[in-house]
Amino acid sequence: MKKLRLATLVALSLLSGLAQADRLDDIKKNGVLRVAAFDSNPPFGFIDPQTRQIAGLDVDYARELADRLGVKLELVPTNPANRIPLLAANKVDIVLANFTITEERAKQVNFSIPYFASGQQFIVRKGTLASPDQLGKLRIGVDKGTTNEIVLREKYPTATLVAYDDTPFAFTALRNGNVQAITQDGPKLVGLLANVPDREKYEIPPFSISDDLIGAGLPKGETRLTEFVNNSLRELEASGRAQAIYDTWFGPDSRTPLARIFRIGDK
Amino acid sequence: MLDELLAPKYLGWLIGGFGVTLLLSALVSVAASVLGLGLCLARVAHSPLWSWPARAWLSVFRNTPLLVQLFFWYFGASALMPENLLIWLNTPHEWDLKLFGVRWPSFEYLAGFFGLTLYTAAFIAEEFRSGVRGVPAGQVAAAQALGFTPLQVWLNVVMPQAFRISLPPLLGQYMNAVKNSSLTMAIGLAELSYASRQVETETFKTFQAFGIATTLYIATIIVIELAGQWLQRRKPAPGASH
Repeated sequence: MKKLRLATLVALSLLSGLAQADRLDDIKKNGVLRVAAFDSNPPFGFIDPQTRQIAGLDVDYARELADRLGVKLELVPTNPANRIPLLAANKVDIVLANFTITEERAKQVNFSIPYFASGQQFIVRKGTLASPDQLGKLRIGVDKGTTNEIVLREKYPTATLVAYDDTPFAFTALRNGNVQAITQDGPKLVGLLANVPDREKYEIPPFSISDDLIGAGLPKGETRLTEFVNNSLRELEASGRAQAIYDTWFGPDSRTPLARIFRIGDK
Repeated sequence: MLDELLAPKYLGWLIGGFGVTLLLSALVSVAASVLGLGLCLARVAHSPLWSWPARAWLSVFRNTPLLVQLFFWYFGASALMPENLLIWLNTPHEWDLKLFGVRWPSFEYLAGFFGLTLYTAAFIAEEFRSGVRGVPAGQVAAAQALGFTPLQVWLNVVMPQAFRISLPPLLGQYMNAVKNSSLTMAIGLAELSYASRQVETETFKTFQAFGIATTLYIATIIVIELAGQWLQRRKPAPGASH
């Protein structure tokens, strides 16, 4: 038994020795940046029906990073559960897949600074909600069993909450006038509104009451790669490229317009 | 697992939800009994002007799922209402009547009450009708022979016996009203099932949340059951052995 344990220790130290080789250098040497992205979560990462390639907001950022490194971009489709395993098993260099930064995850991976924030927002009839202070007086439709319901009750205990089975039901209640607002994550709300025939009657006021910060996931301990991604993101914001990427997917002329509240470097 | 009880705040939610369930089922039972009696009388009337609309009502409300009916009253009917009425119904109104304040119920409550009452009334009407049919035809003929007017026949001969015959199935319908009230959680009425689901979401104490709700439902049903047994001992149905 003791021998086996010793052998394991030796093997582990060898492996960790290998892992210490800097990933940024490896990427440049191999000429390929491997990025995990969603393939069914529009508009962050999805298969474009025309090109049959993965496209989306996350993919645009991936492309910018690869261009800056002067290497080829290789996209690896992923789902939420695979994001950390792909990084841990060295199958990808970066995860750009609507990856919410949490303390729990930060124990296993490095996170870049956030490049997107998915906040809890509201749909209301145009002109009826201007600031969060008004929320306490409203009847608000929420989705049963979501964190949105919990956050809203904690922050605005005087608001009347009515919980429905899902967002379309809540929206019907809003159209009928049973509630004056409904709440969900901003990107989900614009997706819902995009399919509504009389969408010009409604709006998403440009504020959020909580933010899920989205960052790039990187292998644990890869400081130089993390620094490279952080600097690139700051430069993309400074050059206006980050705004352009945002506008492609959420701009006023897109199918799902959503005011940009969060800018890179805000948090 | 079991020793982790719920915080008082969450127990408060469950008790509040239970209160809504009890009040709603009680109001529905009373309203549906009155409406059901009327429906039953219309259904057994000789004139097709009365009996056919009653037949239509019974078949529509007994043969469609309650959940769909509730969705119809809450989402469907409200889409047809004038906008001003809807706004009035959805804003809280309070009247101070010196001794106590009266609050206009929420639209969820109204739609739930309305939907459940119409549904339950259809079942109660049929229970009454079977009670009416349980009174032997000979008694009606005998009463008429003794010179009773048709109204007297109904009030003094048929109804008292019909009530006693239909009492056990009627109590069953009241129990159904309690259980069916849980479906109003789908239209956002904060009754017991809604509260237990909400407590579960916030605390993740699944067993406690749904366990307490189940216990409260069972307790309510047992109380109705005991009340029924007590009533039947006092006024046994005709024909029951003494």
